[in-house]
Amino acid sequence: MKLTTRQLTLCAVLTAMALALSYLENFFPLSLAIPIPGVKLGLANIVTVFALYALGPAQALLILFARCFLGAMFAGNMNALIFSLMGGVTAMAAMIALFRLRRLSVYGVSIGGAAAHNCGQVAAAVLTLGNTAPLYYLPVLLGVSLLTGALTGMVAALLFRALEHTNLLKM
Amino acid sequence: MSTRPFPKLRPGIWDALVAAVVIVLAVVCAGAFWVRGTLAEGELTAVVSMDGQERERFALSDGEMERTYTNHGYTLHLLVQSGELRVAEADCPTQDCVHTGTIGQAGQSIVCLPARIVVQLVRTGGSSDVDVVIG
Repeated sequence: MKLTTRQLTLCAVLTAMALALSYLENFFPLSLAIPIPGVKLGLANIVTVFALYALGPAQALLILFARCFLGAMFAGNMNALIFSLMGGVTAMAAMIALFRLRRLSVYGVSIGGAAAHNCGQVAAAVLTLGNTAPLYYLPVLLGVSLLTGALTGMVAALLFRALEHTNLLKM
Repeated sequence: MSTRPFPKLRPGIWDALVAAVVIVLAVVCAGAFWVRGTLAEGELTAVVSMDGQERERFALSDGEMERTYTNHGYTLHLLVQSGELRVAEADCPTQDCVHTGTIGQAGQSIVCLPARIVVQLVRTGGSSDVDVVIG
């Protein structure tokens, strides 16, 4: 993968934005309304969706890894790394697959990514706990992911509309 | 790098299909748990596991009781009252287990990720106690 200076800069800015969004999310604790571990808005997913379209799958994955590692480091919680990585990578795989279909809008890609993210996190929980009990949360998590996925998809759509007439998306 | 295709911004039938698949998956998963919970017979029992190993099990009908579990440096206070169970207090940062609230149905569980403690409700001692013990 060869990156132009412009792309590298965009990668760096997007990584910083993803980290900021993950932090911002703590001020809107969705888990208070739905008390299940793993319930969250997934605002950082906006960056992933944007990077996937604007830069490509490889760059989006790079930003995702940087976000997960730096996020875990800043939080001082390396235990959370396996959860964000497994969720993130599963979401990324689903979104790349759905993106390749070329029939879906950003909404479908985003919802698929959010649902896959929760599946990945439940899988991580099953692995770390050595118990299948977390599967019990999957139906609710999937239901929530429909809403949060649609929300982040909507924000991404707004973003693309705003950038349609700039040359940021053409590189 | 070539110009990437401009993304579709309006939701269409294919997006609805993705949403439908997610809903079907959620319903099937919930249905499987519900069926298993209602079909099970026997006494409602709490199974406490730490790090994937079963540590203790007790019947919920044993009346009121308190239990304390410590694992990975975190302590959970379990409260059993009138056939239901909840984590009354925990010193973990997330407090997910406390927020989960009270459970009283077979198949339900309370999970504490930081302490790696799982409290699961199962039915045992009945005629069909084999299909509920998982994990």
